[in-house]
Amino acid sequence: MGLKDERHAVRPFAQQIEGLQADTFQSALLFAPELAICMTIVGLLLVRILAGRRVAGAAVALVGSAVGLGLAIQQCCSTMPRTEIFTGMLVYDELTVFFRIFLLAFSVLFILFTWRSGIPDREDSPDIYTLALGATLGMCLMASANHLLIVFLAVEMASVPSYALAGMLKGRRQSSEAALKFSIYGAGTAGIMLYGISLLSGVLGSAHLPTAAVRLAEELAMSPSGETLAVLSLGGLMVMVGLAFKLSAFPFHFWAPDVFEGAAAEIGGFLSVASKGAALALLVRVALGFGYLPQQPAAMPPGVTVALSSAEPASESPVERSRIAALPAGFAVQTDEKLPAATEKAPGESPLEQHAGADKSHAAAARTVPKTRAERMAALAPARSFMGYLIGFLAAITATFGNLAAYGQTNIKRLLAYSTIAHAGIMMMPVAAAMLLAGESATGTAQAVGAVGFYVVMYLFMNLGAFAIVAFLRNELRSEEIADYAGLIHRAPGVALCFSVILISLLGLPPLSGFVAKVVAFLPLADAGWITLLLIGCVNGFLSLFYYLRVVKVMCMDPAPDDAPPVRFPLLTSVNGWLVLVLTVPLLWFGVLWSGVWDWAVAAARSIL
Amino acid sequence: MNILAQPVGVSHFMAVGAVLFVCGAVCMATKRNALGVLMGIELVLNGANVNFVAFGSRYLRDLPERALDLDGQLIALFVIVLAAAEAAVALAIALNYYNNHATIDVDRADELKG
Repeated sequence: MGLKDERHAVRPFAQQIEGLQADTFQSALLFAPELAICMTIVGLLLVRILAGRRVAGAAVALVGSAVGLGLAIQQCCSTMPRTEIFTGMLVYDELTVFFRIFLLAFSVLFILFTWRSGIPDREDSPDIYTLALGATLGMCLMASANHLLIVFLAVEMASVPSYALAGMLKGRRQSSEAALKFSIYGAGTAGIMLYGISLLSGVLGSAHLPTAAVRLAEELAMSPSGETLAVLSLGGLMVMVGLAFKLSAFPFHFWAPDVFEGAAAEIGGFLSVASKGAALALLVRVALGFGYLPQQPAAMPPGVTVALSSAEPASESPVERSRIAALPAGFAVQTDEKLPAATEKAPGESPLEQHAGADKSHAAAARTVPKTRAERMAALAPARSFMGYLIGFLAAITATFGNLAAYGQTNIKRLLAYSTIAHAGIMMMPVAAAMLLAGESATGTAQAVGAVGFYVVMYLFMNLGAFAIVAFLRNELRSEEIADYAGLIHRAPGVALCFSVILISLLGLPPLSGFVAKVVAFLPLADAGWITLLLIGCVNGFLSLFYYLRVVKVMCMDPAPDDAPPVRFPLLTSVNGWLVLVLTVPLLWFGVLWSGVWDWAVAAARSIL
Repeated sequence: MNILAQPVGVSHFMAVGAVLFVCGAVCMATKRNALGVLMGIELVLNGANVNFVAFGSRYLRDLPERALDLDGQLIALFVIVLAAAEAAVALAIALNYYNNHATIDVDRADELKG
């Protein structure tokens, strides 16, 4: 004790600072795509001052996000182990890379599409792209969160710009109402989520997810009192409230139809694809973060291991090291004299804690604190099944509700909003299966998480394509009512065909990619033996048949009214048409040759296990 | 266990935080004025902040190594900044809504049928 005290007392401050410097620098290298987005945001703000209206905001945003995408793809080629960056606040692994590429590719396509659809006019476009890129940055953080503070910050970073985007059509009554509803629901659920985070991190004594999971395992293994369990499950439910809002899952879905109808179709596309994908990634991070311990503890950024670990006793467990890493780094020196108490004893080993644990639960003295990964994983089983059944239950209600509510819709954006809700439900199902499989088979879990990634990528093409066509048709028809699409097959055959392909893919019929996505999403449920949820998913596929096909029928079979305005939307001789094709052709392509993306998604999922 | 008879510990702070949270939640649910709802949200965030700061203190916990330490206080600081940013955006949106509708009564925001 004395020896260690001495060592900590003389631990060179300069060395620690050097370690942190190296950590920040090395982390920043792995964080390069996000930094490119940050630079683009600054650039967009400067362009307006320096160049006025001569340079289009879309051009700057497009170049910036393309650079970000290039950096992200370049990282994809290097094989780095799972690494905790920025002293454990974020985690860098292949899943991070996967979702980062997804989000940045989406933002490139989104900028191209909004540039053609004309909603951000020359006056507004720097503002709109600033907001959209800011939200994308938050979504990238959501996909790589490793600390509950980042979970909250990332959700807010993604949400707050989205509120402003929803109200972007300034003079419109509906748009301002959509923004008001979105911001109030969003801020309310974020507040509840923060309270849940405070309960969880307070009871577990750490906001760093891997450390919190170990503490949770210890807590559960020592048969905790009813109150502790109540607080933990209440905290978990409250965090789920915030996630359910981002996913537009059942009790918190009200905003989605209103916002999609009130805001421009472009924003609907942004919220339904990017925001949903990032929310699913965050759900995977939080659920697996609390319910699963990776086989290998995460590495430190290259070059940092030496510096930081030399400041710590060599014999400590990896968890303790990561806990130190999770301490707010710049301030660690001020608590220096207190640090030995925290670092020297592994949690649960100290007599004080044993004693207190026994005091708390009266009969727990005989239980031992789990030491190995296997013991801890076994102790976490109740947490996993709690989260798995909760997510599965929400998923079943969300999918069924979304599909049933889509029937009566006459506005295409509202219909797509309910379809988004239904798809969010389907995409949550493999996460639920992953939680049930996590204790048993790593392969099964990897496939379940990979199914989420695969579905999200397929969903990008389907839904962005759908919203792009809705936006381009709005510019031609001045309408977003389904009835006004009557006879579109005669007025603009190419677009009607593409839209039909997209809708049938959303419905999930072979040989389109929507079918493959549904199959890979349902297979883990069979793997986990959760047949009820599987049947609910299949029934939902059947339920969605009618409303998607109704739109196809209106477009292809109903006669066009005589006074219908002409539609100028040639598929092959206009840029808009090519954009639609770029989003539609992959649906046919991945419907047959899906194995490349699937293998990539599963490999990405395997890297977090 | 009567917490009023105990020395001040983390549970007392949690009680204050819980009261703030419940006040905020009730305020969000019952206020018809959008600004009232925003105030409720601020109360909820501050309730969570009280928790974070209390959990961050070593002197309040009966298991000092379970304290969040500076993490708790830093989270509280971040939340204060974020609450300000969020309030700024939400107030701008409320003003925009007022310009279009001449009211900020959330019950009258019913043109879009959620």
